[in-house]
Amino acid sequence: MLELEQEIKRLVIETLNLEDLKPEDIDPAAPLFVEGLGLDSIDALELGLALQKSYGVVLASDSKENRRHFASVRALADFVSTHRTRS
Amino acid sequence: MMMGFSVQRWAAWAPGLVNPASWETWLATPHPLPADGTPALSAMPAMMRRRVDRLGRIALQAAYDTHVDAPDAPVLFASRYGDLGRSVELLTQLARSEPLSPTSFSLSVHNAIGALYSIARGDTSSYSAIAAGEETVEAAFTEACGLLSDGVPRVMVVVYDEPVPTPWEHFSRDVAFPHAWACLLSASTGADAIRLGCATGPSDAPVTPEAPDALPADLRALRFLVSGASRWEHAAGPRRWRWERHA
Repeated sequence: MLELEQEIKRLVIETLNLEDLKPEDIDPAAPLFVEGLGLDSIDALELGLALQKSYGVVLASDSKENRRHFASVRALADFVSTHRTRS
Repeated sequence: MMMGFSVQRWAAWAPGLVNPASWETWLATPHPLPADGTPALSAMPAMMRRRVDRLGRIALQAAYDTHVDAPDAPVLFASRYGDLGRSVELLTQLARSEPLSPTSFSLSVHNAIGALYSIARGDTSSYSAIAAGEETVEAAFTEACGLLSDGVPRVMVVVYDEPVPTPWEHFSRDVAFPHAWACLLSASTGADAIRLGCATGPSDAPVTPEAPDALPADLRALRFLVSGASRWEHAAGPRRWRWERHA
């Protein structure tokens, strides 16, 4: 799981051009959106697309569920590990 | 003849030319510039800057360097080709039936660069994005003069372009290197006033043929604006745009 968290941190940095950040700068439990990393709704779409490409996870249009999955790097890793169709 | 104006301050950016003094020297005796380079754009917060690609960084570097501490004013962003690179990328992805990047899609419109500047500065002034072929600069200054005659105290014009990307480069090779310039204008009726007019029909001014290595039209306009020259005429299609300064 730690490895997957590291992988997702790298994916977040690369996908969203967070050029000044290193994986160790991201707290896996901290909020990704608004507070914490300060990402916005376009980032959420971009990240959703990257997760789909890398892991074959499909995001439902249910925003409440998505809000939970996208809460933090750790939540994303949980979601990916249980829903991935690509390794 | 439109409203007279004067240039309160200006800035420009191209690879290797980052301050007004180096620009003035270069405009007097231009030489080829590198086709690559990107400004740091450190004035923009990193979380916004990550969305701005090369053309936007160049345009906004000139905008920030000109704006500095001036009060907010309407801004006219003028680019003949705009961010064509992004469109090529999106169209290529569509042709391959690949999903489009939401970020890239959201930034593919002509006013995206101006919008990022407005958001980053929390500036709610009126912003426009203009493209008008080889008369892009004149269209922007016509709009600027309109705003000044409406009583706006200042207007900023930002002009920017980069070489047309592959596979469209054969449509135009006019822009050989990425560059941007910006100037802050105010209305003027004084001795330094610059006036822009438009006429049709044959020119009554002696025609000076442009050298084969002549600057793109937008940089010839910049040269007129910052050089103190009394006149520059730009023929485009049936129109002759006349830039004049009555010193």
